[in-house]
Amino acid sequence: MSAPALLELRRVVVAGRDHPRLAGIDLTLRPGERVALLGPSGAGKSTLLAVANGLLSPDQGTVLWQGETPARRGGRRRRQQRCIGTLWQDLRLIEELTVQQNLNTGRLASWGWPRAVLNLLVPLETQACSQVLTRLDLDPGLLNQPVSALSGGQRQRVALGRLLRQDPQLLLADEPLASLDPRLAAELLALLLDAGATPRALLLSLHRPDLLKGFDRAIGLRAGAVVFDLPAEQLQQDRLDALYASAP
Amino acid sequence: MSTRERLAAGVLGLTLALAPAVVCQSLIPVSAQATRPVLRISAIPDQNPEKLNRLYGQVAQLLSKQLGVPVRYVPVIDYTAAVSAFRTGNLDLVWFGGLTGVQARLQKPGAQVIAQRDIDASFHTVFIANKASGLQPIASQKGLSELKGKRFTFGSESSTSGRLMPQFFLQQAGVKPSDFAGGAPGFSGSHDATIALVQSGAYQAGAVNEQVWKANLRSGKANRNKVLAIWRTPGYPDYHWIGQPNLDERFGKGFTAKLRGAIISWRPSNPEQKAILQLFGAQQFTAAKASDYAPIERVGRQIGKIR
Amino acid sequence: MKPAPPLLLLLPALVLLPVVVLLPAASHGGGWELIASFATAALQPSLEPAVLESQLRGLAITCGVALVSWAASLLIGLALGAASSQVVVLHLLGRSWPADLLARLLALPRSIHELIWGLLLLQLIGLEPAVAVAAITIPYAALVARVVRDQLDALPRQSLEALSSAGAGAPAALWTALGPPVLPGLLSYGGYRLECALRSATLLGVFGLGGLGNDLLLSLQSLQFRELWSGLWLLLAVMLPLEALIARLRAHWSMPARLKLVPGAPAEPVGRQGRQMLAALGGVLMLALACALWLGINPVQLLHWQPLPPLAPGGWQQALQLNWPALIANTLLLTLLAAGLAVGSGPLLLLVAAPWRWGRALLQLIWMLARLWPPPLSALLLLFVLKPGVLPAALALGFHNLGILGRLLNEAIGSASPSAEQALSASGTGPRLALLYGRFSGVARSYLAYGAYRSDVMLRETVVVGLVGSTGLGSQLRESLAAFAWQQIALLLVAYALLTLVGEDLSDRFRRQLLGGTSP
Repeated sequence: MSAPALLELRRVVVAGRDHPRLAGIDLTLRPGERVALLGPSGAGKSTLLAVANGLLSPDQGTVLWQGETPARRGGRRRRQQRCIGTLWQDLRLIEELTVQQNLNTGRLASWGWPRAVLNLLVPLETQACSQVLTRLDLDPGLLNQPVSALSGGQRQRVALGRLLRQDPQLLLADEPLASLDPRLAAELLALLLDAGATPRALLLSLHRPDLLKGFDRAIGLRAGAVVFDLPAEQLQQDRLDALYASAP
Repeated sequence: MSTRERLAAGVLGLTLALAPAVVCQSLIPVSAQATRPVLRISAIPDQNPEKLNRLYGQVAQLLSKQLGVPVRYVPVIDYTAAVSAFRTGNLDLVWFGGLTGVQARLQKPGAQVIAQRDIDASFHTVFIANKASGLQPIASQKGLSELKGKRFTFGSESSTSGRLMPQFFLQQAGVKPSDFAGGAPGFSGSHDATIALVQSGAYQAGAVNEQVWKANLRSGKANRNKVLAIWRTPGYPDYHWIGQPNLDERFGKGFTAKLRGAIISWRPSNPEQKAILQLFGAQQFTAAKASDYAPIERVGRQIGKIR
Repeated sequence: MKPAPPLLLLLPALVLLPVVVLLPAASHGGGWELIASFATAALQPSLEPAVLESQLRGLAITCGVALVSWAASLLIGLALGAASSQVVVLHLLGRSWPADLLARLLALPRSIHELIWGLLLLQLIGLEPAVAVAAITIPYAALVARVVRDQLDALPRQSLEALSSAGAGAPAALWTALGPPVLPGLLSYGGYRLECALRSATLLGVFGLGGLGNDLLLSLQSLQFRELWSGLWLLLAVMLPLEALIARLRAHWSMPARLKLVPGAPAEPVGRQGRQMLAALGGVLMLALACALWLGINPVQLLHWQPLPPLAPGGWQQALQLNWPALIANTLLLTLLAAGLAVGSGPLLLLVAAPWRWGRALLQLIWMLARLWPPPLSALLLLFVLKPGVLPAALALGFHNLGILGRLLNEAIGSASPSAEQALSASGTGPRLALLYGRFSGVARSYLAYGAYRSDVMLRETVVVGLVGSTGLGSQLRESLAAFAWQQIALLLVAYALLTLVGEDLSDRFRRQLLGGTSP
């Protein structure tokens, strides 16, 4: 436990309309950790991930990325964000662009204007993109296809491919398996776990506790608070039952 | 249909039904107007609008008193509009320039020249220049060729003293409009604007009505340290009042003669008339006839402003 | 090598390169003093009661003319649109060729700018209040008719067929089947036309047809910048609430966005909202009638035609001798430059300003002024520092249309999903690139399609910047009007109509290619 934490939340509170969406969360994520975030809907999983990737600033408490507080704006903030990659539930691919251009948006943060504009004009870094597709079990022939022409499963993989191109330290994923059939979900989860291996870390929210295999750690979230934080193999059924039980 | 629907349909229906009624309503003022005619006077907008409003407001008042008919000043936006509105019968008595007057009479056969100012029989244009342009007063018309390659502005496109005659004198001196910087002269719109633009340096030189130039020098609006006169043209006939052919029909027999008599009768000895004459830059008005403007028609045809 | 959509959006901005190169040669350096005093006068407008009174009166006339001509064009356009719709005519008369014939005929009034209509009617009828209204109504009604026709003919016809086979009378069946689905789109379009009408009414004033435009031009020409600005601010005080109101109503009635003027996907059928809309429409029409009364607008005036002045002998010969190729080439060059500036600068400026909140606010303000400010006045202002020619005219025209396109782009960007842009920012992409990739991608096609439509409008509008000299057909038309050379005027009008008809066709094709749909 000597490596610097990739992500550290201290007493993080996010206010909500009736009750806080996050009510004082403490969480530390170290390189090599693959963590599943469990909890009923409305527990605050999405909010926690939004705080983790900087989309949301907490009302109270501290967020530390690799030991640093997030800069408010400018180049430093962008350098910090570059180390954090998010796989969005709605994917957020750019429909009008090709697969290759979408994959390359993972590199936009490190590219300057000339390359960013060139990417809209000619295929760039074709080899790297092909490698990513191959790794994701996709046909490299898809590179020139517009994203809008792909099937749902292919789109999931392209979104993950963009994350691989970004090559972040910390991978965040908000219910990436929610709308997938079981076979696809298992495949994607395997790819994610592979991508989140050492020295990186993975924080992933799950709606189903049956996919916990391969995770190092499981965190239970309920009503904006951490209910348990255990090594995944120690998680017992009764804790899960309590987590998902309807409110007393 | 629900109540609301009926309400909405009702409002819409009512509106459509009212339309013809409103149209008929709006006819009434027009017919009322026909019974008590208003003498609508206007002028080519050759100076600042405030000055025009002041001057022609006073003229309308005076004429109304002298002639016993309501008189209204109708401002127009440019010279062409004044000519067109005279042709279409929207204006009864207009203070035209030489060129616009000829255009108006050609387009409205029977229109009558009523009067001109004492200074209009031999009117002058002054060429002015910005001090920084390096232009110096010139001795003869030939010297106008100095203006080649300079930024030059006329007044309005249809102005006699601000465009027609200066262009004629320039042409005689061998200067074409395309010889100016940028391949074309500017058209400032009015004499006051020409002076201000040349003084500011936006244009290096320009041509203005001598009377307006003198008035600007007197009032201090033209700054002698920034702008100077470089040449004064020979004289030519300019401004005059023109009236519609049907004035006698509409206002009673002999109205045109009465109108002419009223204008010619203005004298500096009367304070009210003095103020007007001062704004016109004249001592008095004199009778004028169409043939006085034959030279302007000739030049107008030569320059292509009269067809 | 085919540019991707976001880059396509920036492509028209390439026209800035030649403009920037040409600018130093075209500027004459004088007049900066005047520009400076114009700019500083913005903060100290004249508050003299006499000035304000005259301007308020002018503003009221401008608004009245706008409202009356808008209402008239909507009603007439609705009728003409129905009469030129294939589905309606086929249903009522049993054949559709009269509809097609009418639709073709309507292209002619549409192809002529309202300013030309105004100047022509001025010659025919005289200085009557009805002239300004008719000048706006004629081309607007034809435009509305086209939209109505497109919308009606794009509707699915099943419900109409079901109603008629159930025995409903033809007019009743038409009204019930076609009325409700097209109403929201039409009202949304109608609201937008009101904004246009206000701009047109201001512009016509600049050419002597009454209203605030008159005051603005005279103040500018006599260099009374403080008076000029009080007029401008007054105009802004009307235009802003109007734009906000229309946007709010559109949102309230969840009308289709203006950028998506593609028929075929009508909004949900009108229910209670439809009744609200009709009631509002009725109210506005009443207001328009009141305005017409106040302005003394009398449609009968339009029937009193004045005789045209005699035609000069040999005029046709002279008219044919005009340098037509140069006139047309200059007009096209002016259109292309202006269109490139207007379409391309918006996205470019948004990109530049993206990181700064105040930068974006400043852009909004500038675009607002650009929409408001009649192009001939900017052209005159530019002559203080630029030599006359195509460049100041293109800048003036481009600036005005930038104001219109910029707002549309902003609206489109505002209503597009922010998620892609957020995703890019969250992975460390800078604000400009995130905007370019994340938002421009989605709006590129519809924006460019609207830009094509707008370029067609700009071709028509080249006539209004004719006063800066040697800018093609527009300035020749002005010269010919000043010389009362009727044969030249006639030929120039024919040339304009032909040119804009061809331009309209080209921009239609381009838009269909981009959107796969029709309609302006």
